[in-house]
Amino acid sequence: MESLSDTLWDVVICGTGLQQSLLALALSRSDKKVLHIDPHDYYGGQDAALSLQEAESWVADVEAGKEPSFRSALITKPDGSTGLGFPRAYSLALSPQLIHARSALLEQLVSSRAYRQVEFLAVGSFFIFNPAQDPSQKPTLARIPSTREDVFLTTAIPTKAKRGLMKFLKFVLDYESSPQTDLWQPDAEAPLTEFLSRQFKMDTELQTYIITLSLSLDGKITTKDGLAVIRRHLSSMGMYGPGFAAIYPKWGGLSEIAQISCRAGAVGGAVYMLGTGIKAMKEGEDPIEVELTSGDVIKTRSLVRSGNDATGQIETARLVAVVGSPIKSLFEATAEGAPTPAVAVVAFPAGSLSTPGGKASEYPAYVSVHSSDTGECPNGQSVLYMTTLATSESQEILDQALDSFLGAVGDDQAPQCLYKLQYKRLEGSTQSPAHGSIFDFTIPSTSLSFNDSTLEPVRDAWKMVMGDAAVDAEYMQFTDREGAAEDDDL
Amino acid sequence: MASDDSLPTLKLLLIGPSGAGKSALLTRYCDDEFEPDSSTATIGIDFKIKVLNVRGKPYRLTLFDTAGQERFRTLSTSFYRGAHGVLLVYDISTRASFLGMEKWFAEAEANTVEGVALYLVGAKLDKAEHNREVTPEEGRALAEAHGALFCEVSAKSRENVRRPFVEIVDHIVEDPALIHAAKTGRAAGSVTLDSNSEGGYLPNCSC
Repeated sequence: MESLSDTLWDVVICGTGLQQSLLALALSRSDKKVLHIDPHDYYGGQDAALSLQEAESWVADVEAGKEPSFRSALITKPDGSTGLGFPRAYSLALSPQLIHARSALLEQLVSSRAYRQVEFLAVGSFFIFNPAQDPSQKPTLARIPSTREDVFLTTAIPTKAKRGLMKFLKFVLDYESSPQTDLWQPDAEAPLTEFLSRQFKMDTELQTYIITLSLSLDGKITTKDGLAVIRRHLSSMGMYGPGFAAIYPKWGGLSEIAQISCRAGAVGGAVYMLGTGIKAMKEGEDPIEVELTSGDVIKTRSLVRSGNDATGQIETARLVAVVGSPIKSLFEATAEGAPTPAVAVVAFPAGSLSTPGGKASEYPAYVSVHSSDTGECPNGQSVLYMTTLATSESQEILDQALDSFLGAVGDDQAPQCLYKLQYKRLEGSTQSPAHGSIFDFTIPSTSLSFNDSTLEPVRDAWKMVMGDAAVDAEYMQFTDREGAAEDDDL
Repeated sequence: MASDDSLPTLKLLLIGPSGAGKSALLTRYCDDEFEPDSSTATIGIDFKIKVLNVRGKPYRLTLFDTAGQERFRTLSTSFYRGAHGVLLVYDISTRASFLGMEKWFAEAEANTVEGVALYLVGAKLDKAEHNREVTPEEGRALAEAHGALFCEVSAKSRENVRRPFVEIVDHIVEDPALIHAAKTGRAAGSVTLDSNSEGGYLPNCSC
């Protein structure tokens, strides 16, 4: 076998996050010589799914400043909680984004034939948290009607308001055509809520439904962006089966897609090394000389790295909680023939939570609730992924959201929280990615639903590596690698 | 035909150090081919499919090779998912390949379901006469320590090539709990991406 130093590599990819891994997939039939490394001992980088053991060392790395886009990481186990399974029974996703059916990511996974190795699960209902009206009552979760029939049948919305909602839903599916454009373009940069109120006479409650479907982190999404994401949601509904608009990869979200993409890269001949990073390099030379932390010195025509730029545009606060209950009431199929959902989304509108000090929440908080069908926790438990924009109170707000959520879903007794992992994450850095034969992926914006803009830099990096051989129409277009053989009778 | 999707499917993995002869064994078993001078790492083969009849019932085997990810021990957790059986392959003419097998057992055991079928295979039996560095007794003892089955094979001479596959499948199908735990088919709630279906919020037309 050739040694690493004897080979002139076409590209060295450092990092196995989603983008770097999709690049490996894109190059997997190119005959390019690819060396794919990651300083971590596991696949996925910032998109990894961690066992409890891995989470512990990850927290230590974050606190040691080794993970530039994360900070303030902490694990706590509430006093007196029992029932946590063994560490490997958990797979906590750092990127638990749901993926809308109309996402270009799914299109690429299908056209590249990589999707066959991933199991996708349905994302079911979206709920809105309603605080208790007085202390003697419980807070409640109201389900957002998710299909056309749902909207007709629901008794939660008065008839007059329903008409406005239906009118809006019909409008948004075709909002980019004339004359619909005349209606919203003057308000394109204004908040969507104002537009909904003025043009469709929606009350605050219905506005909240729509904002929740948009998963807007600040709740102030513009009309232009809001219509685009609502359209994506509605046009995704029913695409892969009745009653759901989005799906989630089993076993830890984007981590799984990164892993199967790396496998595709390996099948195509790429060489993989984990626990290995770049120690030093001589820039400005062709080929580039790179010294790996393993001690190997290698030569490569191009280099793709993960951005280390911690100047993210936004910062989110995260709380991952393992809960000792299956919370079955959230995972009911809502349409005939629909698969049992494994993920439910609960939104806490701005102002619906408050800190112990009495300050009301400034931004919405979202909870993605994952059942054990995701493979992320043992049977009988669930994993909550909670997100809100980072503020000085965001951690308190998420703790409050957790307590309120458990109070709302419990029957006699609130389910127990067994484990908490909290951290802050920087997103959406704007560093310019390409210079010569070196490409740096920036930190993508990890909104709650996968954002297709994450895919564009992957194609750019692919073009850099392929050079003149890049044919756009062939990007991620592969046939199945499958060998059939003769029957074997015993 | 061999690719009949309706048959019960079993996922089998071949793991072990580089150069142990995993691909040669797989290619001999599936295609009855053997390349004597092939020393390069496997490229381009994701998995092979073979229909095997055991006790009068056909099973569709999907056989996954390591795709070179064994070289620096970078097999992913997703590679192991849903596996019913793992064949751990070493080279009887290379002592070092045998000494590394404890780690491969540990990795297989850590990443698969409880009760997964394990089979230790000593490859390159054709070299037994002149270059053997591992005795069959050593192989058998290691296998027994891990509750694994054991045999030695030669892809070159065809000796015993079918045996590990037949025996591991026989072992798997005898164990309904394993079939259930590995959940080959997809879970009831899983979503298929290649068939679009009807239904939705509003029909996707301007009516």
